[in-house]
Amino acid sequence: MQTVDRQAQPVVAGKPEANPLREGLRLERMAEPCTMVICGATGDLTERKLAPALYNTLLGGFLPPEFTVVGFARRDLTDEVFRQHLLDGINEHSRNKPVKPAIWESFARGIEYHHGNFDDPVAYVELAKRLDRIDRDRGTAGNRLFYFAVPPSLYPEIVNQLDRAGLAANGDRRTTGSKRGWTRVIVEKPFGYDLDSARTLNHEMAEVLDEDQVYRIDHYLGKETVQNLSVFRFGNGLFEPIWNRRYIDSVQITVAETVGVEGRGDFYDATGALRDIVQNHGLQLLAMFAMEPPIEFGAEDLRDEKLKVLRAVKPMARADVAANTVRGQYVSGWVEGARVSSYRDEPEVAPASETETFVALKLAIDSWRWAGVPFYIRTGKALPSRVTEIAVQFRRAPLALFSRAGVPQIDPNVLAIRVQPDEGILLRFGAKVPGQGLQIRTVNMDFRYGSSFAVDSPDAYETLLLDAMTGDASLFTRDDEVERAWAILDPILEAWAAGEGGPLHFYGAGSWGPPAADELLDRDGRAWRKP
Amino acid sequence: MNDRSLSVTEEQAVHRRLMQFGADESLATPMWEERETSVRAIAAHLASLWDAPVGLDDGGDRLILEKGLPHARASVLNLIVTVVDGAAADRVVHTLMGLGVRHPSRAIVLVPEPDSDASPLDARISTHCHDATGGGDRVCYEEVVLTVRGEAAAHLSGVVAPLLIHDLPTHVWWPGDPPFGDPVFDQLVEMGDRVLFDSADFSHLLSGLRRLGTLRRKSGVGDLSWERLSWWQELTAQFFDAPRFRRYLPNLSRLRVRYAVAPPTSRRHDEDDEVAPGVAAPMAQALLYAGWIATRLGWRRHRTLEPMKDGGFRLRLEGKHEMVDLLLEPMPTDAVRPGELLSVRLRSLGETGASEFIIDRDRDDATVATNCDGMTALLRRVAMESPREAELLSSQLTMDVVDPVYEDALRAAAILLASAREAAA
Repeated sequence: MQTVDRQAQPVVAGKPEANPLREGLRLERMAEPCTMVICGATGDLTERKLAPALYNTLLGGFLPPEFTVVGFARRDLTDEVFRQHLLDGINEHSRNKPVKPAIWESFARGIEYHHGNFDDPVAYVELAKRLDRIDRDRGTAGNRLFYFAVPPSLYPEIVNQLDRAGLAANGDRRTTGSKRGWTRVIVEKPFGYDLDSARTLNHEMAEVLDEDQVYRIDHYLGKETVQNLSVFRFGNGLFEPIWNRRYIDSVQITVAETVGVEGRGDFYDATGALRDIVQNHGLQLLAMFAMEPPIEFGAEDLRDEKLKVLRAVKPMARADVAANTVRGQYVSGWVEGARVSSYRDEPEVAPASETETFVALKLAIDSWRWAGVPFYIRTGKALPSRVTEIAVQFRRAPLALFSRAGVPQIDPNVLAIRVQPDEGILLRFGAKVPGQGLQIRTVNMDFRYGSSFAVDSPDAYETLLLDAMTGDASLFTRDDEVERAWAILDPILEAWAAGEGGPLHFYGAGSWGPPAADELLDRDGRAWRKP
Repeated sequence: MNDRSLSVTEEQAVHRRLMQFGADESLATPMWEERETSVRAIAAHLASLWDAPVGLDDGGDRLILEKGLPHARASVLNLIVTVVDGAAADRVVHTLMGLGVRHPSRAIVLVPEPDSDASPLDARISTHCHDATGGGDRVCYEEVVLTVRGEAAAHLSGVVAPLLIHDLPTHVWWPGDPPFGDPVFDQLVEMGDRVLFDSADFSHLLSGLRRLGTLRRKSGVGDLSWERLSWWQELTAQFFDAPRFRRYLPNLSRLRVRYAVAPPTSRRHDEDDEVAPGVAAPMAQALLYAGWIATRLGWRRHRTLEPMKDGGFRLRLEGKHEMVDLLLEPMPTDAVRPGELLSVRLRSLGETGASEFIIDRDRDDATVATNCDGMTALLRRVAMESPREAELLSSQLTMDVVDPVYEDALRAAAILLASAREAAA
C-alpha cells in the first residue's frame, strides 16, 4: 500500500487539539468565536472606526463565522436601523468600499441592537439573556468582548451593572448563563485626568474585573511602525549595541498634527496637548524606544519593560517645570494653504482659554542605559506638517580629523524613525563630495516600508480588535503603565495650574511652535529637527 | 524594435489602463532601447539611472529637510522571468506593472531565441515609479527585457548574472510549461533562491508535479495554483476552528472537490488578458487541495474506486478513524477560469449522524455552510474573487523560501494522480 505522507503531522493529543488545517496558512491568528457588545454603539466611534474595522477584518477572513455584534445604547433603534448605521459607516469610512451586498447581508444577520439605559439594571439582565441566546444559536461559546465607546465617566457604572447581571466574570466564575468562555473589556483613552482620577478609575474597574480582562486602547500602539520599532531594535544585531548613552547624544520625539481641534473644542479645552497626546502616545513611544529587550515577546514581558522605563523617568520637581517645559497655544495663521483661526476663536473653547495646544518637554531617564541623555518631546496642533517620528542624534565623532583639511566639524549622525506618514527609517551621515580636495556633505540613507512591502497595512483598530479577540494584550496599556505616565505628568499639570510653570506662549498656526520651544533646546546647544 | 515586443505606445496604453484601476499610479520613464547591445552597456545604463545628484541641497546650507529625494529606492529582490516569445513577454510586463508597490527591485525578462541568427542581444530598459504613501515621493524599479539570440541563448545565466542587484534574494518565475531537464532551465533555477511556477500550466501534470518535488531540494518552490487555493484553505480551516466542530475532523468520510473546465464550445472571452488563453492542467488546483487535506489529516491511499476518466476520479483513502472517499469532479462551466475550484464538500460521521461542511462558489461569492445533525448552521456568504495573476505573484514574492505545507501537498497530489492514472491504465 502506498502512503500519501508518512510524515504528516500527528494531531497532538492533550489540551484542546490545534486545528491541523491551520498549519502553514497565512492567517494563523483567527479570532475565537465571540460576541462583541459595543456600549454606546450609536456614537461616532462605531461609525468611523469600529464598523469599518470589523468589516475589513471580515473581508480579510479573520472573523470566525460565529462572530456576532450587539450594539447597546440608549437610543431606541431596531436591529435594521442599527445595521444601516453600521453600513453607512463602512460605506463612508472603510478602506474597502462600497460594501458587497451579499457579504454584508450575511454578516448583518449576526448584528443585533440592544436598547437600554446604562444605569438600568433591567437592561443588563435582558442583555445577559440575549447573550446566552446568541451563545446557543450562533455558537459564540460564552466569549464576550465589551467595547466601551462611551465617556470614561460611565465606565464604573457599566462595569458594576455588568457585574450585577453576572456578565463581568470569565466563564468559570459566572454564576448564571454560559459557564464557558471569557469576558474582556476594551476601553478608550482618556484613561483618567490625572494620577488620582486614573487610580480611582483603575480601582473601580479592578473591583469587578481582573487586570487581564481590561484592554486599554492606545491606537498608536496598533500602528505598524511602532511594532516595527521592536523588530528594528531587537531583530537586528547592528543597532542595539549603540542604543545607549555612550553613542546617543539626545532623542527627539515629535507628534505633530496639522489640524486644529476639529469640532472637539469642548473636550480639548478641558484636556490640552499634554493629557491628549503626551500622557499616552508620547510616553508610549518613549517607552518602546528606550526599553530593555524583553525576555519574551509576550504581553506581560513587554509591558514590564515599558513600565521600567516609565519608572526611570523622574517626575520633575515643581520648581523645574518652568525650565523644562514650554506650553503654547496657536493664534491665527495658515496651515497647508488654508487659513486657521485662533484657538480661542474655536467653537466651544473659552475665549480666554489657557489650555495648551502645543507642548515641548525635556525629560530624563535615570537608568544605566540612558543617564545623561535628554529626551525631548513635542506635540502640537496646527503645526506645518502632520508627522510622528523619533529622531536619534548620535554623538559627534570624537576627533575632528578633517578640520586640518579645512573641513569644519561634521554634523552628527541622525537616525530618524518615522511612524507616520511615510513610515520608514532614515540615516544621515557624512560623505565625501567627489572630486579633488576634501569636501564633506551630509547625505541621507532613506528606507521606506511602503517601498518594500505592501502598503495596505491594516488600520490600527483592525489590529487591536483582533488582538483583543485573540487575547493578546501586548499592544494595550496596563494599569500600572497608565498610572506611572500620570505620575510623570502630574507635577507639570500642577505647576501650570498654579501659574508656576512658565507663561503660555503663543505661536502662529503653521509654525513649529513658539520660539521658547527652540530656546529649550538652544540652551543645550541643540536644535529641533524640521521633519 | 523587435516586432514581437510591446511597442512604446502599446506599453503606454497598458499603463493608462492600469492607472484607471486607480490603485497606484505607475509611470514609465522614456525607455532606453538598444539593439545589438552588450551586457556591459546594459549594466552601465542601469547604473546611470541612479546617478542623479539627489539628496544634496544646492545652497550649501545645512541639509535639514529630508525630502530631497525625488525617487526612493528600496532593494528587496531580483526577479528573473523567462518566457517563450515576445507575446509572453508582453503578458509578463503587464503582470509586473500590476504588482504596484510590491514590485521586485529589478525585473529581468528573458526572451531566448536560440534559432535566430540576428544580433545576439537586444535590450529594452524601462523604469516604473509608483507614488509612495501619498507623500509626493515616488518609488521606482527597473524592468529589463532582453532578447537573447543564437548561441548566447544557451548561456542565459551568464547574461543575467552581471545585471542583478547584488546581495538580494533572486526569484525566478517561469510562466508556462517549464522545460524540466533543459540545461538552460537548470542554470537559471540554480541562480534563484526560489522558483515560481503555475502547475496549471504543466503540459504533463504528473511528471511536472514530481519534478517540482525534486527541484525543491535545490531551491524553494512556489506555485501560483497553490496560491489560488489560499482562500479556499482559509474557509476550510474556519470550519474546524471552533472546538465543537473540530471533533468531526478525524471522522471525515468523504471529500468531494469540483473544479471548472472549459465547456467544449467555450466562447468565454478573456477581457483580462493576463489570463493565459488556455489552462493546460485544470486539475492542478483540485489535486493540490486534496493533497493538502490528505496530508494535514494524515490520510493514506487505500485503493482506487473509479479511475481517471474525463479528468475526474474516485479514490478510497484510509483516514484516522474512517475510510474516506475522495472524489475529484470536473464541471464544464464558463463562469470562472478553468481550473478554479467550484465546490468543496466534506462529510463526516458524528456520534449522532452525518455532518457536512460545504463551500459552494457562485462566481464572485460563495455560500459557506455547516450541516450538522440535520440542521443547517452558520450559513453565510463570503467573497470569492479570483485573484489576479499579479496578486498571486506578489504574495508569492513575499513568501518564505520554503513552504513545507505546500511541499507535503505537492507530494501527495502526485501520488493521488498517479494512483488514479495507474488504475486507468
